[in-house]
Amino acid sequence: MFLLPFLFIATGLVSFALFNITTLLQFAGWITHQPRSPAGWFHVHLLVLGWATMIAMGAVYQLIRVVLQKDVFSRTLGYVHYVLYTVGTAGLLVGFAAGQAQWIAIFATLAWIGIVLFVVNITLTLIQAAEWNLITLSTSCALLFLFLTGLIGLLMGLNFAFQWWPAWHERLFYTHIWMGTIGWFGLLITGFSYKMLPMFYLSHGVSNRTSYVVLFLWNAAVFTGAVAFLTAAPIPAVRAAVGLLTLAVYAYNMHITRIRNARHKKSPGAGVLAAVYSARALAVISTVALACTLFAPERVMDERAIVIIVWAYLWGWVALTILGYLSKIVPFLWWTHKYGPHVGKGNIPTMADLLKDRCVAYGLAAIAASLVVQIVSLGLNNMVWTQWSGVALSLFSLFYVCMIAKVFTR
Amino acid sequence: METADIRKLLKQVYDPELGINIIDLGLVYEIRNEDGDVYIRMTLTTPGCPMHDTIAGGAERLLRRQPGIRSVKVDVVWDPPWSPDKMSEEAKTRLGF
Repeated sequence: MFLLPFLFIATGLVSFALFNITTLLQFAGWITHQPRSPAGWFHVHLLVLGWATMIAMGAVYQLIRVVLQKDVFSRTLGYVHYVLYTVGTAGLLVGFAAGQAQWIAIFATLAWIGIVLFVVNITLTLIQAAEWNLITLSTSCALLFLFLTGLIGLLMGLNFAFQWWPAWHERLFYTHIWMGTIGWFGLLITGFSYKMLPMFYLSHGVSNRTSYVVLFLWNAAVFTGAVAFLTAAPIPAVRAAVGLLTLAVYAYNMHITRIRNARHKKSPGAGVLAAVYSARALAVISTVALACTLFAPERVMDERAIVIIVWAYLWGWVALTILGYLSKIVPFLWWTHKYGPHVGKGNIPTMADLLKDRCVAYGLAAIAASLVVQIVSLGLNNMVWTQWSGVALSLFSLFYVCMIAKVFTR
Repeated sequence: METADIRKLLKQVYDPELGINIIDLGLVYEIRNEDGDVYIRMTLTTPGCPMHDTIAGGAERLLRRQPGIRSVKVDVVWDPPWSPDKMSEEAKTRLGF
């Protein structure tokens, strides 16, 4: 199966390029503006739905087959999902950019139907395979939270349009962000890392006990946070959710250290190293967030603080991990399609020949450096540096995505 | 064809991620040749290896093209599981260990 994951991954790469081009055209101005604005909605959804979720869905179609050694329940359903989700997301983005409420409503519904089809398809695949392990359990939880994130997003839109319960808008808004970022991305990335990291480190004999603790704590954090935001609970409830998440992240990092200690390959490649370092960075980000809830509770729900933490989480962990794993997923997808049938028939390139590890390392290091400058600049409220680092971040990201896309020409 | 020759041939089948052939990785457990009917029992570095079809299929394709070989059966097994100590010294060195 090549076409289905390829469609999602290629579309995701195009969306990422578009995100960086539109950011460059505005000299990264949208980052310094009010985040809850048409430009803010457009860019955040282009990054989260058009790129990160699109790539994540492609990776699920590709890796679930690898993990289960079984094909997905229905490829046709997968293609229908692709069309609905892509058209829905594209229309939603136009709706945000134009500030068209009707467009947003229609296309958000289409995108959500696409998500539902995806959730159904993968759930049926998992049920049929009946192989319950850390990876499949974590993926199932991630799917549940993706479904709920979309549902809450739709509810929020309807509530906004019809003013059913105006007081609930903020509650739904924070729950939507929490479930999408922590629930969907968090559980999918950790779940897939339980497969990816030992495979690329060639680690053997690592106990899964710690990762079951991660799964439990992570789910508890998502659940506690969702309840806290939905009920507009006082700060201690939010603190409990962030505390649980921080514990989960520490346990996740412990598990990564065990995998590294049991490795039989010196370097797993720059992309996988980026995923490891970004997990370390996540431990710092979550600790800072927890410290904020403890020592500056009055600032926890401050819009600026939320923007910085969410940006650090999304770029510092989610994006860097996805970008890192892409350097393995794309060459694997292309190599298997183009060269797989020729194994044993003569000289063919290895995967390392398709994408130079040194270039991946330089690209990711440049992205990480500009991101650090940007987060510090946002923290210091220095808009000039925020814009310059935003430009650098987009330039390096564009270079990186072009390098990844070039694999398809080799 | 002697099993030693088949073993030598299988060195042409590489794990494309590691860049090391399946013999040096210690993935091939058994080779039998009964009057041109070849049987290979092998494993992969991890169950659910993404290269399952590619590597096993590659070994089969390679042997089928050899004169004197009538049929090839490649069995991928998980027992005994592969462990890094099955690798050759050369493979260990190439992986940095």
